[in-house]
Amino acid sequence: MKRITTTMAAAAVTATALSVIDPAAALAGGVLRLDEVAVGELDPGKASDYADSILMFNVYDTLVLPKQGGPGHVSHLAESWESEGNSYTFKLRSDVKFQSGNPMTAEDVVFSLDRMKALGAGLSYLFAGVENAEALDEHTVRFNLKQPYAPFVASLVRLPIVDKKTVMANLGDGDGEMKDWGQAYLSANGAGTGAYKVTAHNPQEETVMEKNAGYFLGVADAAPDTVRLRYGLEAATVRTLIAQGEHDISSQWLPPEVIKALAAGGAQLLTESGTGAFYVKMNTTKAPMDDVHCRLAFSLAFDYEAAVKMIAVTDDISQGSAATGAIPVGMFGANSPDQILKRDLDAAKAHLAECKYKPEDFTLELSWIAEVPLEERFALLMQANFAELGVKSEIKKLPWALFAEQVSKPENTPHISQLFVNAVTGDPDTLLYGQYHSTTAGTWQSPEYLNDAEVDQYLEAGRTAADDAGRQAAYAALNKRLMEIAASVYGYDRQSVFAASNRVKVPAMSDPSKAFGLDGMGFSFRLMEMTE
Amino acid sequence: MKRTIAILLRNPLSLLGVILVAIVVLSALFADFITPFPEHRGAVVDFANFNKAPEWPYIFGTDLVGRDLFSRIVYAYRISLILGAVVLAVAVPIGVTVGLVAGYLGGWTEYVLMRITDVFLSIPPLVLAMSIMGVLEPTLLNDMLAVTAMWWPWYTRLVYNLTRAEKEEGYVLAAEVIGASKLHVIFREILPNCVPAVITKMTLDLGFVIIIASSLSFLGLGVQPPTPDLGSMVADGARYLPDSWWLTVFPGLAILVAVFGFNLVGDALREILGAEQ
Amino acid sequence: MSPVVRLLTKRLGTSLIVLVGVSMLIFAIARVIPGDPARIALGPNATPEQVENLRLALHLDRNIAVQYGYFIADLARGDLGVSLYTNRPVTTDIAQFLPATLELIIVAGIMMIGIGLPLGIVSARYRGRAADNLVRLVSLLGVSAPSFVWAVILMLLFAFFLPLFPIAGRISDSYTIAPVTGFLLVDTLVAGNFRAFSNAAWHIVLPAFALALSGIGQAARLTRANMVETYDKPFIEMARSYGFADRRIANRFAFRPSLIPSLTIIGLDFAAMLGNAFLVEAVFAWPGLSRYGVAVILRKDLNAIVGTVLIISATFLIMNIIVDLLIAFINPRIRYSQRPA
Repeated sequence: MKRITTTMAAAAVTATALSVIDPAAALAGGVLRLDEVAVGELDPGKASDYADSILMFNVYDTLVLPKQGGPGHVSHLAESWESEGNSYTFKLRSDVKFQSGNPMTAEDVVFSLDRMKALGAGLSYLFAGVENAEALDEHTVRFNLKQPYAPFVASLVRLPIVDKKTVMANLGDGDGEMKDWGQAYLSANGAGTGAYKVTAHNPQEETVMEKNAGYFLGVADAAPDTVRLRYGLEAATVRTLIAQGEHDISSQWLPPEVIKALAAGGAQLLTESGTGAFYVKMNTTKAPMDDVHCRLAFSLAFDYEAAVKMIAVTDDISQGSAATGAIPVGMFGANSPDQILKRDLDAAKAHLAECKYKPEDFTLELSWIAEVPLEERFALLMQANFAELGVKSEIKKLPWALFAEQVSKPENTPHISQLFVNAVTGDPDTLLYGQYHSTTAGTWQSPEYLNDAEVDQYLEAGRTAADDAGRQAAYAALNKRLMEIAASVYGYDRQSVFAASNRVKVPAMSDPSKAFGLDGMGFSFRLMEMTE
Repeated sequence: MKRTIAILLRNPLSLLGVILVAIVVLSALFADFITPFPEHRGAVVDFANFNKAPEWPYIFGTDLVGRDLFSRIVYAYRISLILGAVVLAVAVPIGVTVGLVAGYLGGWTEYVLMRITDVFLSIPPLVLAMSIMGVLEPTLLNDMLAVTAMWWPWYTRLVYNLTRAEKEEGYVLAAEVIGASKLHVIFREILPNCVPAVITKMTLDLGFVIIIASSLSFLGLGVQPPTPDLGSMVADGARYLPDSWWLTVFPGLAILVAVFGFNLVGDALREILGAEQ
Repeated sequence: MSPVVRLLTKRLGTSLIVLVGVSMLIFAIARVIPGDPARIALGPNATPEQVENLRLALHLDRNIAVQYGYFIADLARGDLGVSLYTNRPVTTDIAQFLPATLELIIVAGIMMIGIGLPLGIVSARYRGRAADNLVRLVSLLGVSAPSFVWAVILMLLFAFFLPLFPIAGRISDSYTIAPVTGFLLVDTLVAGNFRAFSNAAWHIVLPAFALALSGIGQAARLTRANMVETYDKPFIEMARSYGFADRRIANRFAFRPSLIPSLTIIGLDFAAMLGNAFLVEAVFAWPGLSRYGVAVILRKDLNAIVGTVLIISATFLIMNIIVDLLIAFINPRIRYSQRPA
């Protein structure tokens, strides 16, 4: 036995020597503990998921912020801005310092955009239409757009400002002048102005953050001193940890039953809504989904009522509300809340009869994303619903990464994919363009491979319209068209529900007048209050 | 044979084993008649009755789309038994033969065969099966393939060690001295002496195959829904602990009962076979 | 050169050959994965150029033999490539997670031998009596369920309904332990923090026991079976007729030869534990290598799959050599044999 221990100890010493992560110092009191699904991507240029967004919104700041409790944006790192034609000029605050102590200047803004575009990862596609950014003076920066883009200011909530000096001092191996653009460094360290500093980061396990005393807006004493964001906890674990007072905020991916049990045990429920929906995507390039009558038949056979019942958490709070069309209620172009979609089996049968494919000639492939167990239930629901039309189907579980790979080719894309899509900037353009424009087909958002001239036209109109009325009209027309051609089954309007302990108050996720209308922004830790 | 059965039924533990195995096998065979909701083995949803704690007529409760857990567990037994039988029928003959040949012949044959075996044995069984399932489509047939691929070397290693010990024994040397052929020595002299160990392992293994297959599905690499499978039932249910405990406890106990039954019978059989020699 | 050193050298040599075999097998498995690994790695928003660049960087355009050559060349430098999933070197990821898994397995292994062998000896000695039946029943129950079932049952009973043990993790949040070995049970002692040590020990009990249960049953059963067989051998009869005490016979004459087959199987059970850790870690949110392994297999992360399986196999081979050496110490026939082992 002695031999075993010595060998193992030797192996372990070598192992830790390789390890780069040190555990953070845990402070007593004022610790906020939450969880999200792995991986936590710390590099702000690559942020796309919810966990990434939480990190980004706390470690970095953006020029503008969504206005709380209503539409529009307010200045943040910027003092003010004005637009002229296709260019936007921002006057920056002069009192902002990075966590490194370096002052934040226009150079940093330019660098952040260049870096985002050069990496081409995460949500960089939002800035594809930006020609460049120029530093006019130390505190003035101008963005030049290639063509009109109405939601440009909204998209700036996804342009975190990175500390150029720190990054340049920490470039890793790579080709060209910019080497790796600091990717190695930024995937393990923060280099922002944000209210929280990263003190330890392991993308699989945990990120620990601490209050940044030098934050330019100051951080309230009541805000958590330390935040521990853990990744990949099991639902049952989170459920017990919260019940035992050892965890504060759950992820939104807990099944409704678990949130229900927690609420029954006294946990508070936090919500974020209005920016996304549950879409059941039909691959329009594959038989029988290339026939609009078949698609309409499936849309009408889907049991919307059962779907909404499935996601109810309590009598008042649900993970979603009945869909009224392709656009969630509250956005430009949405139908009124009382026009909810309903199942109509007779109409579905009539459409199926007009479809050029007969049910006995095909078997549908119903996929569900392995990381979202709720989708398995929707798959079973659809299998049962479609069976009533005499349609056979097979259920296929796909891990997210594989799904994203398969949809890059129309022939590999399943007949049916289930997705929760939300507007990454809060603007309908970022909800719909990526899903339905013919030029964006074949991404994870667009397994429909939709190619419809009318849809394209409305989408273009929506992003270039000069005023809100114009945008409203364009999106209303788009909504109508998307319903006619049944590109997807519009499942329900989504609301994210989080179970939380009563140690923390989160106005941005419990008081509608403080809500940001942007997913993940509610997790701005500086606006939370610890009550113990 | 008669005597074997008589002994089996006399010992209370092995009698319990026989009863459990009989229950499992018979219920799997006659699932259509004994389950209250045979259609629940497939894609049925009944949101009026979902996530119900055990109550009549759902004696084990219902799952998250309203299907009767008892019916699904019985049908899952059917799948597990088929899988276990097929895997052992393929893996044991391969493994035993390789082990005998390598152990008896020695030299280069031994070296090459045992290194190949070692390669397979050096990857923990579940990890090997997982890697294979990671590549293949998750179907029942591929499940069997992956489990078989990881199973045979265990028999090789066991029989190889036994053979190496046996070949030094007097009776083998005696057979060699009187000029028996290698085939004769391997299969008529050594093999019978390995049989008790192999049978012990096989009877234990029938249960273990069920365990490994359910572990694969527990990790999401087994047969796909709506096909009922004990491992995926436990995995899915584990998210809803402790509130919806029936979702994990009953499928978990179902695995325990089946494997326990096979182990009791296997244990008793080995005692009897060992004693009769 | 003493026979044992010779055996050790030989075993190390063969282990190396086996590792090469493992690397080929797992490399082949990883490369026949359907789909485009570069595409999977880069995620949903990557451009075709980026995918193509990564394909070139991974040598995916070359044939598999050439790819394997590149892999071995990198491996020789201690480089297992970058995980396409975490964007970190695979060696960093593994170094991070391996100690937690090893710690769990070693504790489970100690439980397996420390509880399983004595149970087997007792059972064999009181063969046919109540104690024997009880041990057989318990050990049979132990081997009769996969470790995830035990994990779930133990968790339900002793973490949920009777909250005696923690439900997840390795140590409570409030302790900060500087990593020296990565083994918390060791590091807490090194730090002289006994409260943290007992906290970590308290965390490891349920997962390790869930992992060990089938091994305990297995070890007890095999020890009993082999001892019973040995009891029937003439030399035991002889010892009896010479008037040796039962205890002496059990401990000295019957136990030792019975250990050989038991140890062989226990060695293999260790391998099974490395795999079963995947199941237990999933239930107890144990931050070990296994969760990483499942994630990379599900995501078809080439470098990480090959690296993880290779490291797990190397770990297993080392354990196996130790078991073989133990057997050699116990069995003089093998100790002095000149055959290739």
